[in-house]
Order: sequence, then structure tokens, then C-alpha cells
Amino acid sequence: MDKQAWRKRMASLTFSEKIRILEKLRERSLAIAASGLRKNPPKGR
Amino acid sequence: MKVTLELINQMQSQGVIGRYAIGGAVGATFYLEPAATFDVDVFVILPTTQSGSLLSLSPIYEFLTARGGRVEGEHITIGSWPVQFLPASDDLEKEALEQAVPTEVDGVRTWVMTAEHLVAIALRTGRPKDDARVLQFLETAVVDREQVESILIHHGLLPKWERFQNKYLEK
Repeated sequence: MDKQAWRKRMASLTFSEKIRILEKLRERSLAIAASGLRKNPPKGR
Repeated sequence: MKVTLELINQMQSQGVIGRYAIGGAVGATFYLEPAATFDVDVFVILPTTQSGSLLSLSPIYEFLTARGGRVEGEHITIGSWPVQFLPASDDLEKEALEQAVPTEVDGVRTWVMTAEHLVAIALRTGRPKDDARVLQFLETAVVDREQVESILIHHGLLPKWERFQNKYLEK
């Protein structure tokens, strides 16, 4: 699947499914930050 | 997020806040593919008490801390999500709340700003990540450009839109 098709597929998920992905991305970012690999957690908004 | 939204809805039903809508990166995710974000921006209408009195977020913080919310800087963490409550401070944000789209997350009712209002607010904020989000909205064609322009004209943001177009769309 090319990048554009992948993005389209991701965009077509339900809001609940997307929120679950956001939560996983956030957990991963926080785990990386806690491991010291990155100095600060990402900031949103 | 379910716990977060349930508590916000509870706060709304008890009159601590009025209308609310999710904006920012989480709001954009309603329309676009998910993009990593640290927090959730919740724009709110605060009930007015006495005429001329300053609006305060204190009732929100009191309500949520009494129910396990943890204040961390400008956020309050509810469940697993840091939430930033942003009182609607001008006509654009108030309009965005009035026209917000009802939806659900895991069966919990909530509201998200329209794509056009998210674009207008991002354009006005104008940080690099806001510009990137506006471009993403335009590329994926999930916004009605005429509607965006109408909002921008109405709220005096046309110069920002022209600068944005010159910078990103007309090279």
C-alpha cells in the first residue's frame, strides 16, 4: 500500500479507532521520553 | 479518552461549563489520519455569573480535582489524557463551538469543531505545526474552501490566508 493510500485508510477510521491510535502513539512517545532517548515529551495542540 | 469525556460531559450537565468542543490536533484527527499529540484541547463556554465578573477556570479545576484530576501546569490530567481547557475568547471560537459537530468516542457523546473552523483557528495561530495542519486539511480536501474563506473574511483573517497562500500554495 502506498503512503497516500495508507493515509486515506487511516483518515477513514472511526473517531474511536483514531483515538485509540493516538493513545498508543502517546504512550510510545512517553516511554521514549522516560527512557532518556529524548529529552522532552512532545507537546501538542 | 472515554473516562476523560465522561467527566467533561458530567461537568457540562452540572452546569460547570456550557457548550464545549474538541479542537487542536485531536480535533483534526476526527477528519485526518491520526497524528501524535501530547494533550487534548477543549474549548469551552464558561457560564457567566455576575455581569462584569472575570471568567475563571477555577470551577473546572475544582470539579475535576475532586474527581481524581491532576493539575500539571496548564493541563489537568483526566484519566490518561492531559486536557487544556480554553475558554472561547472571541467570536471565531464562539462560532466554532456553536457549529461543532456531534460525534461519539467509545459510545460517549462529544463535539468536535468543524474542519473549516479548525483550519481558521490554526491559520490564525500560525505556528509551523498549525501551518502543517492547514496544508494537510487542504491536501486531503476535507474542507470546503469556500466555507473556509467565508469564515476568514467574516473574522478578518483574510490577510493571514493571503500570506499563507503566498508562502505555501503559489510557489
